[in-house]
Order: sequence, then C-alpha cells, then structure tokens
Amino acid sequence: MNGETSSEDLTILATLEALETGAGGPGGGARPSETSEASEASEASEMMARLYREVLGLVAYELEPAVPSPEVKTLLMANIVSGADAAEEADGDGDDTQPAPVAAPEPAPSQPTPVTPILPIPPPTPPIPLRQSQEMRPVRPPMAGAAVARRSPRRWPLALAASLALLLLGLSGYLYSRSLEDRATIARLDRDLARERSQAAQASAQASRLESYSLNLREKMALVTSPTVAVSALRPMGRPPLQPAARGLLFVAADHQHWYLSLQGLQPVEGGRLYKLWFMADQGPVDAGSFTVLPGAPIEMSSKEMPAGTRTAVITLETDPGSRTPSGPEVLRAGAIAPIS
Amino acid sequence: MNPIAPTSSLESSSDGALLRHVVDRRPEALGILYNRYASTLLALGKRILGSVSDAEEILQEVFLHVWNHAERYDPARSSVSTWLVLIARSRAIDRLRTRKVVERTHESSAQADPAGHASPEGMETVFLHERRERVQQELGKLPPEQRQVLEMAFYQGLSQSEIAAKADLPLGTVKTRTLLAMKKLRNALRDEIRQLL
Repeated sequence: MNGETSSEDLTILATLEALETGAGGPGGGARPSETSEASEASEASEMMARLYREVLGLVAYELEPAVPSPEVKTLLMANIVSGADAAEEADGDGDDTQPAPVAAPEPAPSQPTPVTPILPIPPPTPPIPLRQSQEMRPVRPPMAGAAVARRSPRRWPLALAASLALLLLGLSGYLYSRSLEDRATIARLDRDLARERSQAAQASAQASRLESYSLNLREKMALVTSPTVAVSALRPMGRPPLQPAARGLLFVAADHQHWYLSLQGLQPVEGGRLYKLWFMADQGPVDAGSFTVLPGAPIEMSSKEMPAGTRTAVITLETDPGSRTPSGPEVLRAGAIAPIS
Repeated sequence: MNPIAPTSSLESSSDGALLRHVVDRRPEALGILYNRYASTLLALGKRILGSVSDAEEILQEVFLHVWNHAERYDPARSSVSTWLVLIARSRAIDRLRTRKVVERTHESSAQADPAGHASPEGMETVFLHERRERVQQELGKLPPEQRQVLEMAFYQGLSQSEIAAKADLPLGTVKTRTLLAMKKLRNALRDEIRQLL
C-alpha cells in the first residue's frame, strides 16, 4: 500500500472498518456528515460508501439459499403477536387498577299496594221452585193428537237437510282452501324447480370453467416445471425506472412456441393508455397482446404461439391500442431468450 | 400513517414499502420480508457460524430487531436487502466472537449441509437465483488472493490487521487486495447495485 491513497480507497476501508465497529450495521450509526464537518466532499464520500455497502450486501447472495424450518417463522410471528398482545393487556390492566365505582342498585321504592275493596257477597238467589216456574210458563192449549203427529215428520228432514247443507258447505270450503294451498305449493315447487335447474346449469358452467382452468393450470405447470423450459426475468426499464416495483417472468417451452408470462407490481393506468406485450423477433417487434391492470392484481398471459426468432420480450405503455410498433415508454424488458438451437 | 393495504397487494410491495408497514405494526408485512430474505440470511448465518440452529436463532433475532426498530432504517444509507444482510452478518459475527467457535466453523463449513438446499417458490426465487448467479460469477472472477481477503473480512469479521496477521501478509498487501476486490465487484455488479438503489 503506497502513500497515495485515494479518497475512494479511504471510503472503502472506512466502510469495511465501520462493519466491524457497528457503525455501518444495524441501526446505521452516525453518518459522516453528522460527525464531521458538513461538506460536499462528505456527501460524495457517503454516496461512495453507500455503493460499497451495497457491494458488501451483495456478497451474501453468492451463498446457496437455505430454507429455515417452518418453526422459525411460526415462533417469530408468535413472538411478535404476543408482544402486541402484551401491550394491549398492559393497557387493559391500567383500566383494571381503578375500576369504576359500581353503584349498588337501589331498592325500588315501595309502592303502596292498591287495596281492592271487599265487596259484599250478594246473597244467593233463591232457586225458583219448580212449581213456580211451571206456573210462569205460558200454558198452551192442548192440541189434538193428529196434529202433533203431522208436525213431527216435517221438522227432522229440514234439520237434516240443513245439516247436510252446512256439511257440504264446510266441506267445499275446506276443499277449496286445500285446492288453493295445493296450487300455491305447486307454484312454489315450480319456482324451486326452475331455480334448481338454473343453479344446476350455473354449476355445470362453473364446472366447465373450472375444468378449463384446471387444464390451463396443468398446462402452465407442465410448462414452468419442465426441465427444458427457459426462464427470463422481466425487469423495470428506464432511468429512473418508470415502475420500479414491476417485474415479471417469461417461461418459454423448449419448442419456443408455448410461453407463459406472469407479471406483478404493474400500476393501473388511466387516460385510455394500456400495456402491450411485444416479442422482439428477427422480423421486428410483434404485438403479442394488450392489457390493463387492476390495483394489486397479477397479470398472466399465455399462448402456444411465439414468433420465430424471438430474442426478448418487452412491455410498453401505449396510448394507441392499434399501434403496430412500440411507441410508448418501456416498462419491463426480459433478458435474452436463447434462440432455437 | 400508511393506508392499510390488503395482504395480496403487500406481496408485490417494494421492500421499502413493506418496512413502512412494519413501522405501522403490520406483522404480515414482516412475514413477507421474511419470505423474501430468510433463505439468504440463513445461508449467511450458516456460513459464518457453521451451525443451522445458531443461524436460525440469528435469523429470528434479525427479524425481531426489524420489527422493533424498523424506523431506524435509513434508505439513504443502504437498500433494505443490504440493511438486512449487514444486520445478520453483524449479529452472526458477534455470536462467533462470543462463543469463540472459529475453528469449529471452518470444520463444519466444509461438511455436508444437513438441512439440504431448497429455495422458496415463486418469482422471488428466480430473481434471487439470477442475483446469486451474477454474484457468484463475479466473485469467481476475482483472483483467489483477493477473494480470500474479502471473505475473511466479510464472513469472519476480521480487520485488515487481523487478516494480515492470520494470512502472514503485510498490511499494505491486504489493503491493496481488498481495495482491488471491492472496486472490481462494484464495477461488475453495477446493474445489481442499481436495482438496489
């Protein structure tokens, strides 16, 4: 090490040293601009230090990732949640230390019970002597025996007819009522049947959709898990990136025909703009479809056709849905797709 | 206060946005950060400590620290990824020094990995895989002597003087090798660094 140490060298050594002293570790520690005299040089030095911190941060990525046992996360989340609960309990305890005085229920004021006046029991009515009642009945003149015999047969058929009529009337009313109920039941059952048929049709359609979806998923699964599939990550483009959180993966089958694209983090756009997928092939850019996005919703696209000689894929933001070539800004670009060998 | 976002949209949030949700005490945001970085941080802990169980303890400590002190993260100083890596490294090195298990580490680091290697599913896997390939590729291009001093500094927490003593080299040589390695990596990993900034 000669004496002509550049400021970059000093920054690198200081960054490494800060790792050991903890100044560059968790919590950050003081920035140079906070501890030394503020100057532009220190800002540049801090930017340089930032770059080398990132270099050190990347070094760990050379290691093969190791999956922790599930208990680690379970325990971690339990610790976090129980910590939050403890805080809530502490708040609750505070309330318990000074319980609000609870007023004892006062006895209801005694209400004077209304006194029902005792009424004198009226003296029982003396029974009317039989003889006296008979005596009060108007006395009919005695009728002749033939007349009595004629009146008797005329009264019972009338009573019988009246009873039958009443019976029939009641029966017909009952039957009419039953008939109305049955009609209502039939109408209800018809509606239920129609509803069940409609639901059955919907279920059948849903089953068809699910079957189609399942088939689609199986195809995607077969594609993305194929040992010969080529995977290319789509990364944000532009400096600064137009949409830094956007990303995607393009899976291309070994035949370079069947492809599947999965996108995340694209922002919804307004004003008639839409996203377009372009395959950059030997013949030039090929429009592979356009789409819009909902907030937070992932995008999936798939097809069994890919232009011959496709080298990469690009997502652009277009204002003209019918544009034949990319004219809007690039949002995502895939890495190179190996050409067909 | 950040608006409450559903978990499905959290999944596609940036690391910085997730950390802001952690500040707002949203455990699911921490869970997503854990899913993204646990495998890398565990690998780092294992590399430093040579023990899966120790590394898993460090992993828990790191994310508990994040939960309790997320507001300390300064985006001007480093990316979330680097912040987490440096926290994990710092804790693992501290434990290494405390337990004085340096020799055991070197022995066990050469042993087969009892837990096996696997990666989390999904898009993050591909990005991590790409990043790992790039970092491995560039570290592989370093001359062995430069890579050695860098690894001794990063994984063993040794100072330049300690490296010089341990490798029986002049201090100036160690510094020169370290500086060359760091500058090469900075240039070679420019795209990866840009993604982190």
